[in-house]
Amino acid sequence: MDVVKSNPSPRKRFFRRGIIILAILALAPLLQLSASVLVAPTAVFLSDADRTGRMTIQNPTDKPKEVSIFFSFGLPESDSLGNVQVLLQDSGVTDTRSAVDWLKAFPRKMVLAPGATQVVRFVARPPKDLPDGEYWARIVVRSQESQTSLPSQAGDDKITTKLNMIIQTAIILKYRTGNLVAKLDVVDTQVVSLDSAVNIFVNMENRGNVSYVGILQGRLLDAKNREISTERINLAVYHSLIRRLHLPFAEGNFQKPYHVEIFITNEGRKDLDPQNMIVGNKILLTMAAD
Amino acid sequence: MLRNSKLRLGSAIIIAAVMVAVIAGPTTVSAQEVATGAASANVLAVLVVTSVQDLNFGDVLQGVPTSADIDLVTEAADFLVSGAAGYEVALYLQLPEFLWNTTNTDRMQIAFSSTDAEIDPLAAGDAATKSGTETVEDPYNLTATTLGVDNGAHVYLAGTIYPAVDQAVGAYSGDIVLTAAYTGN
Repeated sequence: MDVVKSNPSPRKRFFRRGIIILAILALAPLLQLSASVLVAPTAVFLSDADRTGRMTIQNPTDKPKEVSIFFSFGLPESDSLGNVQVLLQDSGVTDTRSAVDWLKAFPRKMVLAPGATQVVRFVARPPKDLPDGEYWARIVVRSQESQTSLPSQAGDDKITTKLNMIIQTAIILKYRTGNLVAKLDVVDTQVVSLDSAVNIFVNMENRGNVSYVGILQGRLLDAKNREISTERINLAVYHSLIRRLHLPFAEGNFQKPYHVEIFITNEGRKDLDPQNMIVGNKILLTMAAD
Repeated sequence: MLRNSKLRLGSAIIIAAVMVAVIAGPTTVSAQEVATGAASANVLAVLVVTSVQDLNFGDVLQGVPTSADIDLVTEAADFLVSGAAGYEVALYLQLPEFLWNTTNTDRMQIAFSSTDAEIDPLAAGDAATKSGTETVEDPYNLTATTLGVDNGAHVYLAGTIYPAVDQAVGAYSGDIVLTAAYTGN
């Protein structure tokens, strides 16, 4: 059982923000033409100890951008083949872990001048007696040209068209309260051998009260435990999820029978601040691949 | 006092790192590369979607359906998704059924077939010069995509408009919304 340390020192906060600014500055040269706005970080964490958070939005283009912020609900969900989608739900959310109804953003609308940066702040006003655990929402940052121009009509008898390209970036927001437990179960696995590869379908259930965020790694090994191929997937299991690992056969002096090793851990994620990681269980499974 | 001096030292280190990244860094540097070089700890990935090219049907004649070619830079819509290489991004398109004229008095049908989208899992290239690893997609059901080694992926979109024989001449417009989210956090 791990309790969130939701109050990092000013020094750590300072360095974290510095890294975010650095990432923004580094990515800015990539963006040309009618780019979207740039949003960082990619996950926002609030807690009962600190109910406020912030996000930085930058317009790296040479045109003003109209930006709006709203909250939605959408978790990674999979089909039976392990294909993952994040579908946003703006109304009628019935998930008891939804935080959408009690979050506020300031400001919610803005026009960002070329090169301008805006900090958006979030505050949570959760209901009283909220059960321990994690509550979720998506921060949706919607951006488009602030002055949409209609195409000029080429002639009296012409029809012209203009499709306005609108970009939405959906960032996860997690609100944490009380004692937090990260625990994952693998409820089913299926190994499907093909001519050139092995597909493994891993069906997982979240048994904790926070999202299980970690790494799913699969390895195809020969009889002497020599690695033939491997795949690693960043994992976020909120309720349940099926993921597919694709492990191709490779040329080499490998000896049959082959087997597959599956390892799940929520350590080693380098894209997330360790302060925000809830350490949970690890899972190691081995199964035949032939 | 000691904390303040540490903060000042940290400030100086970060500013120096930013200056090094901006001045000495290559113009196509990625968030992952820079963050790794500047701070030994964590990569805080950034997700950016760029509308590189609008969907463009050109001039349209009454009664003549017109399609945009997904292999032409001047016609296919092109979204560039930039982030951290190897990270999976879920993508979702909201597409219009009609385009409306400026006075909202006439509308024109627009349609997208189940093969009108392509995802190229590399940031390099454009609609005419894809990597060869692109996949044909249903624009109403895009597959989550792992960003390529150059920290990006392209989403291309084509479509067809169906002007009526008595379609009012003028300029018609509509919205295409692309939503992107990392699947791993």
